Order: sequence, then C-alpha cells, then structure tokens
Amino acid sequence: MKTPTRAAAREILEQTDDSMLDLVDNLLNRGVVISGEVMLGLAGVDLIYLRLQAILCAADRVEQRR
Amino acid sequence: MSRVYLYALLSGPPSCEAGLGVCAEPLRVVAVAGLVALVGDVAEPPAPSAIVLRAQDTVLRRLTAGVEGVLPARFGTLLADDAALADVLDRRRAALTEALDRVAGCEQMTLRVWGETAGAAAPAGPATGGPGTRYLAGRREAHERARRVPELEPLRACLVDLVREERVERHDRPPLLATVQHLVPRGAGERYVDAVNGARAALAPWRVSVSGPWLPYAFAEAAA
Repeated sequence: MKTPTRAAAREILEQTDDSMLDLVDNLLNRGVVISGEVMLGLAGVDLIYLRLQAILCAADRVEQRR
Repeated sequence: MSRVYLYALLSGPPSCEAGLGVCAEPLRVVAVAGLVALVGDVAEPPAPSAIVLRAQDTVLRRLTAGVEGVLPARFGTLLADDAALADVLDRRRAALTEALDRVAGCEQMTLRVWGETAGAAAPAGPATGGPGTRYLAGRREAHERARRVPELEPLRACLVDLVREERVERHDRPPLLATVQHLVPRGAGERYVDAVNGARAALAPWRVSVSGPWLPYAFAEAAA
C-alpha cells in the first residue's frame, strides 16, 4: 500500500478553506464503521489527525479575513 | 487479489449509472441482507490525499442524489470479499437500517464555534459531599459540559424548525471552541446559512463558520 508522506499530510491540511477542512474531518473521522474487523489501518491518517487541530486554527484566520 | 472497498450503505439503488470509483475501478451496487452497498473492487485501499478525499465525496454525492437514505462509510473501509461484506451487514442489519431511517431525506450542516476564551459553559456548582461524591459530580459535569454549546443559544430559536438532530464536540482549545453538526432536511442548507448569518451579531463575542450541505457523515454511526 502506498504510504502518505509528511508532505502528503501537509498538502491535505494546508488547503485551509473550510470545506476542505470539513471534508477531511468528515471522511477520516466520521462515517459509518460497519465492523471492528474492517481494515482501517491507513498509514498516515494519525499524522493527519495530529495536524488537524493546527489547521482548524488556521481556518479561523481564513474566516476572519472574509 | 482484489478486495471490496465500501463507499456507502444506501436505502435503495442509485438512479444513475454507477460509473467509476476513486481508484478508477468500476463501482458495483450490491444488495445484501436487505441493504444496498456501494462498493468497488480494489487491490489496495486508496491512500488519503486531498484529491482522493474530494473524489470520494464527489462519487458519493453523484450517486446518492436521488437516494433517500445514505450512510457514508468511514474512509478506508475495506473487506476481504462480498461474503465478508454480507456477513458484517447481516450481523448489523437492525442497527444499520435504523441509522438509514434516521438520516433519510436529510443532509448535514457543520458549525464551528470560535472564540478567544475557553467557552461559555457554566462552571461546576459548589463542591459538596465527600471526595467520592465530588469526584462523581465532577465526572458528570464534564460529561454534560461536553454536550453543551451555550455560545449558540442566540442561534437556537432560528434553527429550531430546521434541525432534526445535533452532534456536539467541544474542543475548548481557543480559537476553536466547539464543532456542532446538524442534521437538516435536504434542500434546507440555504435557509440554514441565512439563519446563521442573521444571528452573527447576537452570537458575539463568539464567531461561527458554517459549511455544507454534506452527506450525513457525522450521523452515520450505528449502534453496535
């Protein structure tokens, strides 16, 4: 499986418009989990979670500029 | 060997041709255990990137436009084969059907509450009783506080006709104080945004950002 790099995580999260932020949050953090046995071990996702908080703060600044 | 990548569970089949998924694989609609699953056959799960996440959301929006109930799957949900999918769905059928009913005809709007102070939730009451009682009272207060967003009180009256369900996540890490997900009837997104915009002055000093409509990702949980 292709493993996302730090650069890939940064690429996702530095697109700081609200819709991208919520898209990442919705797809990676929500949605139905149908079974504990389902393979959800996507490398790089933890990294994305770690950076999500920082980007949420950045999104606030984007919002203020509108 | 290919495996089955799950996009969503649906209350009925899509009204348009399934087309291709995020790995350019042909999508299939599988009816199992009284549920309809939208799946693709992939060699490995797609790696999360901005393009892939956007593509998965776009695929789902396209195929579910005319479908009453949609439960988007968590990104990366992969099963061994159709038999494994059928087995899981069969075991969870009641909870999944209930969840599909709950989101039928609805979409999600997302509010983020921003501010420079750590929220407006009322502090805990005076500590009374012994250490055990105080500990339990503290736990209960923390539990209840995690579900309250008093910052939004000026907005609630404007949204009461639109909001079917709410999910609250308090962050209390300024500037982000809370995320509130609202389940609203499809087509109500514009009225929802208007209501939020109309309440901005009353919400001061707290600010809100709104996004949506989304598929009901935050409401797609099913009881185990």
